[in-house]
Amino acid sequence: MPVLTSAVTKGFELPTVSKKFRLEDFKRGDEKTIHTDYEAAAREGLPAPVAIGPQVAALTFRQLRLCFGEHWLTGGKWNLTFRRPVLVTDFCVARGVVTQTEKLTDSVRIYCDVWIENQKGEKVIAGTASGLIPL
Amino acid sequence: MSETPSRVLEDSQGPRASFDDIKIGQSLGEMEWQITDDLIDLQCQLDQDFDPLYCLPGASGKRLAPPQITYRPPRWLFSRTYNVRGLFVGWEMESIAPITSGMTLRVSAVITEKFIKNNREFVVYQAEGKSADGTLLFRSKRTHVLDFVERTAPRRGAGIDSGIKPEKI
Repeated sequence: MPVLTSAVTKGFELPTVSKKFRLEDFKRGDEKTIHTDYEAAAREGLPAPVAIGPQVAALTFRQLRLCFGEHWLTGGKWNLTFRRPVLVTDFCVARGVVTQTEKLTDSVRIYCDVWIENQKGEKVIAGTASGLIPL
Repeated sequence: MSETPSRVLEDSQGPRASFDDIKIGQSLGEMEWQITDDLIDLQCQLDQDFDPLYCLPGASGKRLAPPQITYRPPRWLFSRTYNVRGLFVGWEMESIAPITSGMTLRVSAVITEKFIKNNREFVVYQAEGKSADGTLLFRSKRTHVLDFVERTAPRRGAGIDSGIKPEKI
């Protein structure tokens, strides 16, 4: 059952989804990548291995799947900016809020601001998302 | 004394593509991509999302794939054309129709924009995926920064991570 209904209003806070990442989350076999290897990351000017962006954004996708249920798969949209690298051992939490609803013929498009914060409260990913809920 | 920052010049795949090498309008080609239960399982594992919506067969008897399963094919197409590492910094996506196990997707992409911001070089490419019968399933726009280090830093030395990976999620 989706969290959001067609009667939702602006300001509704989406459920949070969080995870403490580990370097092992980003390993693929023995590959040395900027996501798993300190030297590979350093050569690219990074302070330490960085998380794979889509795996961090997955917190937002889980949140939106919870909110829209199966309706997320038809008409779901997102626009995310990866604002700063997430280190592979960071804690991240996905947050979001409904900003607008738009009544269509047989559904309501619900617009949200979504973002992911690290353990310092910094927004590491931010953007918008929307999906359809039938009337 | 700290070393002067530099951008990687080359890696195991050869010289890194420069900002000038990348041409707006350049097709990144297309590829076929088979969606399987195993692939959906792997995506769910990566995302740590084991909801029945994705893990059990839907009304059609086939499993539904998370929309973000579409991340990698356009990135592979980018790397087939240009030797880049850099970082993924922007992701627009529209999920037009569900993607199910057993589908063969045809994914294509094209370079649409490049720009300089905060003294770094950015490239934008757009992709779309269609089913075997030509139904549009998703549209996506990606923004990629070529280097984490600013563009005024010289290029020198070899990178360990080429950014070109086996084409599997």
